[in-house]
Amino acid sequence: MDIKIASVDSVIIYFDNKISKEISNKVKATYSYLKQLNNQDFIDIIPSYSSILISYNILRYDFKKIKEYLKKELENINYEEETSSKLIEIDVYYAEEVGLDLKRVATLNNISIDEVIKLHSSKIYDVYTIGFLPGFAYLGIVDEKIATKRLESPRKKTPKGSVSIADTQTAVYPKDSPGGWNIIGKTAFEFFDKNLKELSPIDINTKVKFNPISKEEFLNQGGVI
Amino acid sequence: MSGLEIIKAGIYSTIQDKGRFSYMHLGVTNSGFMDEYAAFACNKLLKNEIHTNLLEILFPNVIFKVKAETTIAITGAKCEFFINNIPLDTWQAYKVKASDEIKIGKIQEGQRVYLAVKDGFDIEKEFGSNSTSMKEKFGGLNGDKLKNGDILPYKESTTFIKRKWKKSFLPKYEKEIVLRVILSYQYEDFDKEALDKFFSSIYTITPDFNSMACKLDGEKISCNISTLVSEAIAFGSIQIPKDGKPIILLKERQTIGGYPKIGTVLNIDCFKLAQMKPGYKVRFKKIGIEEAQQKAKEFLLTF
Repeated sequence: MDIKIASVDSVIIYFDNKISKEISNKVKATYSYLKQLNNQDFIDIIPSYSSILISYNILRYDFKKIKEYLKKELENINYEEETSSKLIEIDVYYAEEVGLDLKRVATLNNISIDEVIKLHSSKIYDVYTIGFLPGFAYLGIVDEKIATKRLESPRKKTPKGSVSIADTQTAVYPKDSPGGWNIIGKTAFEFFDKNLKELSPIDINTKVKFNPISKEEFLNQGGVI
Repeated sequence: MSGLEIIKAGIYSTIQDKGRFSYMHLGVTNSGFMDEYAAFACNKLLKNEIHTNLLEILFPNVIFKVKAETTIAITGAKCEFFINNIPLDTWQAYKVKASDEIKIGKIQEGQRVYLAVKDGFDIEKEFGSNSTSMKEKFGGLNGDKLKNGDILPYKESTTFIKRKWKKSFLPKYEKEIVLRVILSYQYEDFDKEALDKFFSSIYTITPDFNSMACKLDGEKISCNISTLVSEAIAFGSIQIPKDGKPIILLKERQTIGGYPKIGTVLNIDCFKLAQMKPGYKVRFKKIGIEEAQQKAKEFLLTF
């Protein structure tokens, strides 16, 4: 673990420089710990795959002081402890009419479309990080049989609700956006909602499972083809 | 409704305050005024809290109609400024009363004009801030830039104290500036040659310059890292994408990203950058963290 300068008023804690469940769990445990410290001089705490950035009040801390403070606090964290996590189940209409790359994912991996759906919807995913767009959660890791590289050239518009795969990760586009991920289905589930107090039903401690539903159910939930 | 009625909104005028914090872990950007010096000064002239919301105006020909008595102040870019067609100096507080017309004409030097009213506009915060974020459709009025016919409400204020920014403290808006850089993030992964090149070159600001980022043109910088696991991006971070042309990330930046960063521009220098235009030049100069923090603190304590 390493604490480095990020800017005049922020530091970044590095746990490693790779994507792994073990590192991610360390990030999550540390993030939860830092949050519960409730330190009013922390302005933002932003976890990612293998690091956490903390911006702080420089009228209260300088770099040396915050580094010492964090080092000391981080010693108290028990990484063995599994942080409590909520499971969110997300209904997905998997079909070529909304899953524009469903066939591509199947073809490139030499499996059937049904198998893509089965493999994608049978796993419980961890949230590795959130970013790119508000509520865009990077979920992993997908079964290697459906891991698929990004599109050669990104789409100008990936529709809101698109459930997609890029390499070993999967995600849902919380709104229309340019994007190069392979779209395999669509959900009516809102990943980002201004009406929620917390803005989003997910955070990095959430786990996610996708459930296949019929077109009829999708439409009943307010889904749009 | 009493307030400021927008007769001509201009191309890009938004409400901003210090920014939206503690939602970055969900991918929500900070936003906030781009030039904190001018914005803080504008509020200070009115004896407002320095973080009070105000207008950030980027393009000329903006006209307001006053609906209730108050005091206003204008700072930031040098511009033509009129009350009832009478040309006036900026960086000063003025009393205005119902039916007065305020006009921002040509913007002559600099890029962003700030206009504040006594105690700020009386609008509801969204997630802790009035800052307009076009990306998330948050803040301001309905998460959008100003439109003709919008009314920005404020509480009537009849007291007036004539205040003017000291001439010696007026910022100069130059066409070439030096940005002080704190070595941060992946700077160790750039070899000496790349760092030397970065700190000895002159870069030109490209038209790709907005509240998210400022893309530069000039000497290409190479980095020894090809892929980086995405991580959070601080205000002022200088990322080096594959084409080697530095990008300075600003208030409305993406929260995380995967390009290596050679350093971070000192926040107070980003505020100067906010007043520059495409075609203008920047150079980089190293600054140690202790000195940088000292400068940033001095800045805050000025207000």
